[in-house]
Amino acid sequence: MSNVISASQLTLAYDNGANTILENVTFNIKKGEFVFITGPSGSGKSTLLKALYGQIIAYDGSLIVGGVDLARAKQSKLQELRTHMGIIFQDYKLVNEWSVAKNVVLPLMIAGYSTDVQNTQAQRLLKHVKLSEYADSSPLELSGGEQQRVGVARALAKNPVVILADEPTGNLDDYSSSVIWDLMENACEQLDTTILVVTHKIPSMFSLPYRHFIIENKGIYEVH
Amino acid sequence: MKFIKNHLMFILPLMAILLGVEFYVVFDRTTDSYESGLKDGYSMLVVTNKPVELEKLKNLNNHISASKKIERDTILSEISEGVSKNFSKDILESLPYFYNLKLDVYVNTTGLNMIKKDLEADPNIRSVETFGTSYSTSYKLFSFIKLILNIFIGFMAIVSLFLIIKQMEIWRFNHSQRMQIMEIFGAPLMLRSGILFKVAIIDALLATIFTSLIFLYIKVVWASNSGIEMMMKNKDELFKYMDIAMLLFVALCLVIISVTSVVLSSSGVEE
Repeated sequence: MSNVISASQLTLAYDNGANTILENVTFNIKKGEFVFITGPSGSGKSTLLKALYGQIIAYDGSLIVGGVDLARAKQSKLQELRTHMGIIFQDYKLVNEWSVAKNVVLPLMIAGYSTDVQNTQAQRLLKHVKLSEYADSSPLELSGGEQQRVGVARALAKNPVVILADEPTGNLDDYSSSVIWDLMENACEQLDTTILVVTHKIPSMFSLPYRHFIIENKGIYEVH
Repeated sequence: MKFIKNHLMFILPLMAILLGVEFYVVFDRTTDSYESGLKDGYSMLVVTNKPVELEKLKNLNNHISASKKIERDTILSEISEGVSKNFSKDILESLPYFYNLKLDVYVNTTGLNMIKKDLEADPNIRSVETFGTSYSTSYKLFSFIKLILNIFIGFMAIVSLFLIIKQMEIWRFNHSQRMQIMEIFGAPLMLRSGILFKVAIIDALLATIFTSLIFLYIKVVWASNSGIEMMMKNKDELFKYMDIAMLLFVALCLVIISVTSVVLSSSGVEE
């Protein structure tokens, strides 16, 4: 199986190298794998995730996602790559002035799909996350767990190559968290999507086989 | 209500700038027309020892556009009343030649003195009378009013610009979340800022229409009934239909600069 994510001698740093977060790390993630990245607060988990969607550029080494070398890619190439990614945030990052349905089809809107396709997909995805009745509501009318389900639906909208999730259940209660993990397990299993989750704690009821990396002391280590 | 308020907060300062631009243009046009009137009604008097051709005078100063000889017989008939015929002949022989000179542009008192100096450099020219004082007095008053108005327009434009910048900050606050989320998901700049551009262009159109209507009212209704001779005479200069295109161009430039600054400052996902 081909690598979807490939980091080689990767160094991530802020302040032009003065503040190193990760140093000389190497790892590969293959298509369809479910990966957890854990580590203490401030260890660089979220920084790595930002580097994976091109928000932070590698200070040294290489980081290749979906065949695109992020350190050397032009802005237009990075934009195109992001249209093939699903990204889930701890704070949901939904557009509050849009309806739930419009939020869900944002990746399709960016890709230029017709309104008909967008409407059909919105119905299908909202049914999948059991929020059909909220299609025309504002995200502000939903609970945290429901908003995160909208976030998951949005991440799945364009059958992405990879889904990156930053503490997706960090703000949720146990029930809402279990719903989110179920949705993500389904996506990995049924769509063969690579899923990389940054989290403090791996859920105890997680049933799929997964890989586990720990970020510590500016390095990344796989737990076998 | 909030929607209307948001638009008015942008349209009103934009209108203030457009009104300033149009006032400046109108005043400039009216001044040109006034200067043209002054120039047409003005002539300077040149006294020469021998007859002189226009070309020679033009060589001395290129602002001289026409010359008209004052017939010496006319002058003689006025000054030789009751004088014998022989003596009149002597006067005629000793009488210099008089010319009225026209200029091709309006020049100020300094310019008039320069022309006088150029002409007096010729030994054939005995004297030059520019009538400078009466020529410039009314124009100086007019220029002073123009200067005051320009200062006021400049001040108004600066205040309006600050109001637009303030409104831009509100727009940035209102739209940054959506634009940043769209950026994360790979939306190109034009897509994520499309709504802002659409709103701003509509506001620019509305500001142009309102400003044009104000000047049309001034031209068609107010100027005609104002009783101010200069206004009534120069009514057509107050607003021309080409001005609508100019105002629209200025408004579009302003909104494009404003929106681009909002879009660029909203780029980059919050840490």
